[in-house]
Order: sequence, then C-alpha cells, then structure tokens
Amino acid sequence: MFTVTQVGSWPRSKPLLRALRDQRRGTIGRDEFERLADAEVTRTVRLQEEAGVDLLVDGEHRRDNFYSFVAGKVAGTKLMTLAEMLDTVEDKSGFEEMLDTLDVPASAISNPTCVGKLERREPLAVEELRFVRRISDRPVKVTLPGPYLLTRSMWVGAFSGEGYTDKTEMGDDVVRLLREELIELRDEGAAFVQFDEPVLTEIVMSEECGRRTFM
Amino acid sequence: MRTGLHVCRGNWSRREEVLLTGDYTRLLPAFEQMNVDQFVLEYATPRAGDIEVVGRALAHREIGLGVVNPRTAEPEGVDEILEHVERALRFYRPEQIFLNPDCGFGCFAGRCVNDEQTATGKLRRIAMAAAELRRRHG
Repeated sequence: MFTVTQVGSWPRSKPLLRALRDQRRGTIGRDEFERLADAEVTRTVRLQEEAGVDLLVDGEHRRDNFYSFVAGKVAGTKLMTLAEMLDTVEDKSGFEEMLDTLDVPASAISNPTCVGKLERREPLAVEELRFVRRISDRPVKVTLPGPYLLTRSMWVGAFSGEGYTDKTEMGDDVVRLLREELIELRDEGAAFVQFDEPVLTEIVMSEECGRRTFM
Repeated sequence: MRTGLHVCRGNWSRREEVLLTGDYTRLLPAFEQMNVDQFVLEYATPRAGDIEVVGRALAHREIGLGVVNPRTAEPEGVDEILEHVERALRFYRPEQIFLNPDCGFGCFAGRCVNDEQTATGKLRRIAMAAAELRRRHG
C-alpha cells in the first residue's frame, strides 16, 4: 500500500544534454551515447533507491523527449522541429504567438512526424526496461506516449498522406504498435506500463481557460 | 503487470499561469471507457481541482496520486502530503493509492523544470509520508 513511484522523466545533466544534442547532429555514435546514458540511468536509479522509491523509472534519459523519441525507433517517421513544421501551418502568426505565450522556443521542440507507413524497427522501450532490471531488484515502471498524443502529433497533413489516407487510418497503426510494445514489455517483466496523454486536458480545458498547447 | 494512464496540464514551464486549469469532470466519460488499472493524476496544485471528482466516479480503479509539484524549488512538507492522501482515503482503500509527483521532473526542449537535488528531496518527502501512512493504515 502507498507504493511510492514517479511519473517518468528526471532532470538531465549537462553532459547528457550535450550528448543528446551531439546525437541529433550525428557527431557521436550510438555506443558512445548509450555508455553515457547507462551511467546517468544508474545514478538516477540509485538516487530513487536511496530516497525510498518502491517502483522505479529510468528517468527517460535516452529519449529526445517523452514522445518524439519514437522517431528513432519507428520506420515511416522523421524528427522535425516545430520551426520546420511552421511552413505547413496555415495560421503561422497564431502558431508563433501561441509558442511565444507558452514560453517555448519553436526551434527546440522536436516532433515525430509521420512520413510513410509506420512500423517498429526496434522496440520503443524494452532496452530501457532491461537495463534497469539488470541494475536493480526493485519493480520497474515504463512510460510510453499514449495513442491519442502520438496520433495527434505524428499526423502532419503535408507529409503523412504518403503513408495513409487519413489520420484515423494512421491512428489504427499507432494503436497496433503500442499494443505490440505493451505485450513485449509485459513479457520482459515490466511491473507497470503508463501511457502519457497530456493533451487530453487541452481538449476539455483550453476553451475554458483560453490557452492551448503545442502538441 | 499494471497499466496506467497519466494526464497533466502541462509541465514545460515554471510559470503557473501558462499551464492549463480545470478539474477532471469533462474527462470522466473517456476515463470510464479506458481499460487501465490506474489513473496517474495531478493533485498537488489547486489547478487540478478536487479529488472528489475522480474519487466518486472511479473508486473501483487505482489512483496514482500526484502529491508534489515537480516544478517548484522547495520540497513539500510531509504534513501537506499526508493531508492530500487522507482526503483521497475518503474514496480509496490504502492499497489502491500510489504516491507520485504530479508529472516528470525532466527536461523539455533542453530546459529542465527542476534539478536533481530538489527532485530527490521531494521523493524523500513522499517516502517519509508513505511510511507514516503505512503506520496509520497498515
């Protein structure tokens, strides 16, 4: 009872932020990045154990952000910054104003845009789970972006028409990918799989409080 | 294995006024249809409304109760956390309640909403509250 756990992400160190940037630019290899991330995850796990957390997370250190990271794992996607996507937005000034209001720079946020048929090239989070299970005996929670968040953010009309006739058809494939991942995570010993759907609030609350988010 | 759904009102800025406000009433019809064991929800800020909204409608599910704000510099007091949980206990049994921060502590767009030391301090407070709650209700 009263299991102590976390929701997912952990503050990133300067070396990790630098390595994530270098990885995006292609100036460090995957092995070098994973070695650094292993050390960051290990520290994060030890801090949780010492603090008394019962159900551990890996801190999402290996991810570009909590949902865009799927672009590295799923065929038919391309990581695009919001600045790149701005060209496809009809109401450009409205979009820029929203980002400005939200206090978020368009060049610094990446989106996993769908540009073709979606297929998992590799599992989304199984390696994250395996690593934490190797270094700790405590149960592990894995976070995944939810199907609504992914469908809404991945569908960018100007690009996604290459793979699908409409957003609903692409959404069916997003659900299939997530189901396959959930089953693999269960078989690999995940104690908890949490789906993140932060934008559900926007649908029901943005009208009332006059704000919207960027996803 | 458990499955859960996490919903929040934004976690990319420490400026409370740019994040969304409202309780979960209008999401209840969707929550009720979802085949998940647990709802992992924000409750540490007044922007999230009262636990009663979800507590009454979804008392047969588990709750991942958000008891600390991941975006502030000061760790919450144990008493403050205990108050949140005691209120939730009006709707849930102890074994249905998980304790967690409102959202992740992490970084978005290269900026972190908090630092490691503060985050660890907040987790320690949650664990201290959990120990007291197990003593009271175990």
